[in-house]
Amino acid sequence: MVIPYQCLVARNSPTPNGSDWIIVGASGSRIVIQSHNGAISTWPEQHAQSRDQEDDGAQERPGKRIRLEQPKEQKSNFSSLVLSNDGQYLVGVTGEDKTIRVFQIDRQNHLRQLSERCMSRRPSSITLTSDDSTILCADKFGDVYALPLLPSPDDDKVEQSETPAIEQPEEKEWLPSATALTVHSGRNRKTLEEQLKQKAKGPAKSKEPMRFKHDLLLGHVSMLTDIVCTKVDGRSYIITADRDEHIRISRGQPQAHIIEGFCFGHEAFISRLCLTPSGRLVSGGGDEHLFVWNWQNYYLSEKLSIKHSVWAYLETLPGQSYLGYLSYESFKIAISGIWNLPSSEPNRIGEEIVVACEGIPALFRFFTTGIGLRVSGGTYIPLSGNALDVAVMGILPASSTMVVSIDNIHKPGSTTEAREDKVSRLQIFSQQQDGQWQEDASMEDALKSFADQGLDEQVERASDDGKAVRDMLYNMENLRKRPGAED
Amino acid sequence: MPGEPAKRTRREEYKKSLQTDEQNAALPKKKFYRQRAHANPFSDHSLTYPISPADMDWAGLYPMYAKQETGEAGHADEKEQKQAKAKATSKDVEIADIGCGFGGLLFALAPKFPATLILGMEIRTSVTEYVEEKVRALRVQNASTNGYQNVSCIRANTMKFLPNFFQKSQLSKIFLCFPDPHFKQRKHKARIVSYTLNSEYAYVLRPGGVVYTITDVEDLHVWMREHFEKHPSFERVERGFEDGVGEDGEGMDECVRTMRVETEEGKKVERNKGSKFVACFRRLQDPAWP
Repeated sequence: MVIPYQCLVARNSPTPNGSDWIIVGASGSRIVIQSHNGAISTWPEQHAQSRDQEDDGAQERPGKRIRLEQPKEQKSNFSSLVLSNDGQYLVGVTGEDKTIRVFQIDRQNHLRQLSERCMSRRPSSITLTSDDSTILCADKFGDVYALPLLPSPDDDKVEQSETPAIEQPEEKEWLPSATALTVHSGRNRKTLEEQLKQKAKGPAKSKEPMRFKHDLLLGHVSMLTDIVCTKVDGRSYIITADRDEHIRISRGQPQAHIIEGFCFGHEAFISRLCLTPSGRLVSGGGDEHLFVWNWQNYYLSEKLSIKHSVWAYLETLPGQSYLGYLSYESFKIAISGIWNLPSSEPNRIGEEIVVACEGIPALFRFFTTGIGLRVSGGTYIPLSGNALDVAVMGILPASSTMVVSIDNIHKPGSTTEAREDKVSRLQIFSQQQDGQWQEDASMEDALKSFADQGLDEQVERASDDGKAVRDMLYNMENLRKRPGAED
Repeated sequence: MPGEPAKRTRREEYKKSLQTDEQNAALPKKKFYRQRAHANPFSDHSLTYPISPADMDWAGLYPMYAKQETGEAGHADEKEQKQAKAKATSKDVEIADIGCGFGGLLFALAPKFPATLILGMEIRTSVTEYVEEKVRALRVQNASTNGYQNVSCIRANTMKFLPNFFQKSQLSKIFLCFPDPHFKQRKHKARIVSYTLNSEYAYVLRPGGVVYTITDVEDLHVWMREHFEKHPSFERVERGFEDGVGEDGEGMDECVRTMRVETEEGKKVERNKGSKFVACFRRLQDPAWP
């Protein structure tokens, strides 16, 4: 069975008729790309024999060194994809080897990897600044780094020669930092002993430093889950969300060290941020609500009950098989995606948002007005499997199309049980005149071969019972804190 | 571990006896509150923290400063506002001692700044309990003068949740006294000072406010200095502020003087004849935003 697309992105080319588009999906460690004219290609390129050589040879991956088993087959899966605003570059993050990869998309729609940069901590979310010049990388350790999208040769030279003093203090003559005069707890005393022992062996080998241009912009002491950046009235902002319920508003570069404020209100982890065209910020995660922010004033303007919508949807399903013994109170949701949709009707009140929750076979539509008045919420689009990712395209200027990646290997409503029936890995919806979304057969045709491409997961499946794939597809609920787990 | 249960029972009995003996207001004994000197700032301890600074129950910590109820009962909309008001104080906390330990500095500062609210923040549960007990006892002992009503202590992981407690520019002084040095290289992110955390200190400090640091570990001192000096929101204070002039350190900032001698660790270092490294940093005005 082919692994579903865990990541999906699309972009319209800036052409006069506005109908040119490309769509890119990541299936495990493989990327598939298709354009409106039907040209399709994959990365790494599939030539049955040459594949292995290619893996070993030309690309010497810094992260590879630390992976112990099966370096050939066990290639890192993509955890996020971002297309540049000009549609010429694709940035992908492979999670296991912590690497940011930049690809160029050529005229024939082929991907050429320009660079791979191995971060010292696993990136959890990346974004590009509006001018496409800089990648902002938020990591699991809570830090945000800025990397040039296309490093110039000079950048790397600089980094090679002057290693920042703070990151590498061991290059100085080594001295134990504890002394006999230091106030000691028993543990500190032990550390001192260890340091003295260590001295005899020579300084400990530290982690491989990042040998490319990277600037530390800001950091939370918490796992970062999402990052967005935007420009309002000439001022740029970086907005970061973490597992400890924080949404932080910082100034953009070069003043990213200045925190402007926080949007407080979440009581569980935040997993996704989404800026709407009118400039509202929508956030969600483990809470029962979506929060809509007037973020420049750190003011919560709306709360939309996503849990209620999900529950109401699940209740409509035959046999209530998804709910089992759960009560509404014990039922928990984990938001895995929030997307804003281009508005087809300018006179409609409110902006449309689509939300996906982990392990739920539907998308949920909301309309935010930003004035605390909920016009309509909780309509849903049922799907044939759990929603994994959504890519939005404006095929025609008048209406838009939504490509939804469907989990074809787990039962709908479950993140663990394997499904037996065969189902398409994509569902495609187009917006009708009345604003409703309907399955679009012609687009499904156009994306037929894209829907079939991907990485065959049989090998992995046999080895670990599908756990690797499961962890790749569903990792939001894990962010929830378990009270009393430690202390 | 053998002996452990006995220790716990003794502690529980002691704490119970303190509670029943409230009118005597005896100061708590440290030996019943000792706790290993390290805590992991990254783990999700079962911490309680306010959703936002406005949700914090300040009146519970500083009852003398609780905002007076305005009287007449309003309709439902005002009820919420009233609730918020019930938690608020007439003044905001302005001095924070992060990692206050057994509170030596807090109790020395309280009479020196009688009109300023001072908060100790400590991650270790039983050490926090000790300070809370001591605050309670000192308040009873000094009831006639309303002493120590301006000092309080909470358990908190400030590395994660500092902005949950304080609004932007709320504080005038932050103390970081004898922080855990985290000697091991790979533990350096757990240090209380880092370039990225300094942004949070800058956020809660008002321009002109000062971060005070003191340590007996030179290595950590150098680390803290480097990370603050690298941060554009801070500048090192003048020499005289930290050291004063001459033997007596004339002109030394009053708080530096207090911090040098009144902190528990400071006294310990004194006894061991170790050295103390002081560095203070002033919060600068934010630059214009293009």
